[in-house]
Amino acid sequence: MKISKKIVLLGHFGVGKSSLIRRFVENTFSENYKVTIGVHIFKKNVEIPEKDTDVSLVIWDLEGNDDINNTRLSYLIGTNAFIYVYDVTRPATYENLQAEIDFLKEKQKNTPIKVVGNKNDLVTKAFLKENNDNFGRLTDLYVSAKTGNQVDFLFSKLAESLL
Amino acid sequence: MLEEYKQKYTKPVIQYSVLEPNGLVLESDNGLFENFEKKNISDIHPFFETIIPILGESIEKETIFSCVHLNIESKEIISDIILQTFKNNKKPLLVIQDLTTHYNNYQTTAQVRNESVINSQILELKNTYLKEKEAFKNTFIANFSHELRDPLTGILTFSNILSKTKLDPKQKDYIQILNSTSSFLKKMIDDILDISKIESGKLDLSIEPFNFKKLLDEIKFNYTIKAKQKGLEFNYNYDHKLPEVIGGDAKRLRQVITNLLDNAIKFTHNGSVTFNVSLNQIRAQKASIHFEIIDTGIGIKEENFEDIFTSFNQVNKNESYKGTGLGLAIVKYLVELTNSKIKVVSNYGKGSTFSTNINFISNPSLKVTKEIDATKVVFNPSKKYNILLVEDSEIIQLSVLKILATRGQFFLDIVSKPEEVLTRMVDYDNEVDLVLMDIKLKEHRGDEIARQIRKLPEPHQRKVPIIAMTAKVFKEDLKLYKKAGINEVLKKPFDENQLLEIIAKHLE
Repeated sequence: MKISKKIVLLGHFGVGKSSLIRRFVENTFSENYKVTIGVHIFKKNVEIPEKDTDVSLVIWDLEGNDDINNTRLSYLIGTNAFIYVYDVTRPATYENLQAEIDFLKEKQKNTPIKVVGNKNDLVTKAFLKENNDNFGRLTDLYVSAKTGNQVDFLFSKLAESLL
Repeated sequence: MLEEYKQKYTKPVIQYSVLEPNGLVLESDNGLFENFEKKNISDIHPFFETIIPILGESIEKETIFSCVHLNIESKEIISDIILQTFKNNKKPLLVIQDLTTHYNNYQTTAQVRNESVINSQILELKNTYLKEKEAFKNTFIANFSHELRDPLTGILTFSNILSKTKLDPKQKDYIQILNSTSSFLKKMIDDILDISKIESGKLDLSIEPFNFKKLLDEIKFNYTIKAKQKGLEFNYNYDHKLPEVIGGDAKRLRQVITNLLDNAIKFTHNGSVTFNVSLNQIRAQKASIHFEIIDTGIGIKEENFEDIFTSFNQVNKNESYKGTGLGLAIVKYLVELTNSKIKVVSNYGKGSTFSTNINFISNPSLKVTKEIDATKVVFNPSKKYNILLVEDSEIIQLSVLKILATRGQFFLDIVSKPEEVLTRMVDYDNEVDLVLMDIKLKEHRGDEIARQIRKLPEPHQRKVPIIAMTAKVFKEDLKLYKKAGINEVLKKPFDENQLLEIIAKHLE
């Protein structure tokens, strides 16, 4: 069986949304930062052997915003799941984490949201533990687009959860 | 003609397509992309896959998707996509508008803006991190050196007491070694504390009149001996036009000169060390004084001139040149605090010259406060003084006890808890004449106890002189002690003279 799901990645600019997608779709990484404007759309199939299903993930890479209220709402139409990405090394990207999540919950009721801290290769486990109150308690997964750590896991688990 | 040109040069920027609700393209004008017709739109680009549900809505509605990147048949555009649905089962319309040029310009602006914001955030974070690291280092240094001070006070006191007992020549030599090594250790701790004060911007200069000639004479005396011990010649040239009394920070001036002289002697193995002091000019009640220290030592390579003034950096890695590498860093900072500069000229292998010009206040009305010579301190012979020592370090207790016992004029009570202090203070039969107060007691703070003493009911009790004994002498610490009613601070480690001098001053 084959089904299609729309996944939207959001978060501040420079947090590594495009890098995460590139790592997942093409298994590549670049240190160069190119600002995303508007939206790029990618597609990748994820096999879920336990359920004998292929999930076609249509991944929307949205332009980063320092305020989620500026997101173009048409992009959110028909979303099956959100991945909210922040940068564990830049407090500005997680300072309003709760408010940003609440915004998504309000706009797209009952749509699952995965909160992801990217660039975990740049910090220690102790640092993540120390920041539990800042972002830890709201985070589902720490990942690194650079090393690939937990990236496949993030998308495949999300795909599985949408079945 | 116009129509001909228009047909020739107009580039299509819009594509119109009519779709079935299931996404099948019924008609398309191929304005931007060819071969749309007869295909399902969801097979053309993944973007369209997610809009299929909207196509089935049989209502009059326009949905706009701005700035969508499309890559179809190797052609890349950035477009606005409009999806128009209608009532009454009228077929939906898809409009793709190519705005690549417009959005590329926007991308360039966004790139510059975002990079600038990210860089400033990273810079701010780095600054915060560096400040935290610096604060941690300074706290560590302050605490660490503080812990060294009590045992060092014990060593200094008892080696001094021991040197006054009957000793054979060999034992005298041993004591001398003990004295010189503990003095060296004390200097290193002082340097480390100074540099931590300097790096946290907490070191200020005081301006008070002092006997400049006397200070130079003392330095000359000490360094003539030091140089002689190393087989070096010590030359001292004093300009007789120099004022005898000047206004400035005598302690820090001595530190600058002795650090430079120590450095000169350390790196000189043959020849001489010369110390020149001369007057440049006196103008507007300011004396500009030139200091110059010349050695015939190992010299410094030109590329190392800057490095020698960096803290914890020893340009010469030879282990025989012991030290913390802080001496010259402190010199540079102190000289710069006077708005001057330290200059170095060196001939590698032949020697170096360090020089600076420092301004001091020069005014004929300047008078030096009479200094007390502790060795000649005479307390009222008809009186015995009650000293209350609030201290929990056994080494300090014993040190103070031994020093005061040599005078035979003091009764010493030792306590370490606030309630004991207050009980002792209100003992009418034995009024306390002076309190020596440790600040960092195990369970209490000396300044807090001082506050309680200042609240006692009887005037003679609450007005008793309180001398703090502590290594914590940062500017904010001193303010705190003063606010708590502490009269003066005796910095640890202290020696016999310093203790007797401060007691004499407050018992007068």
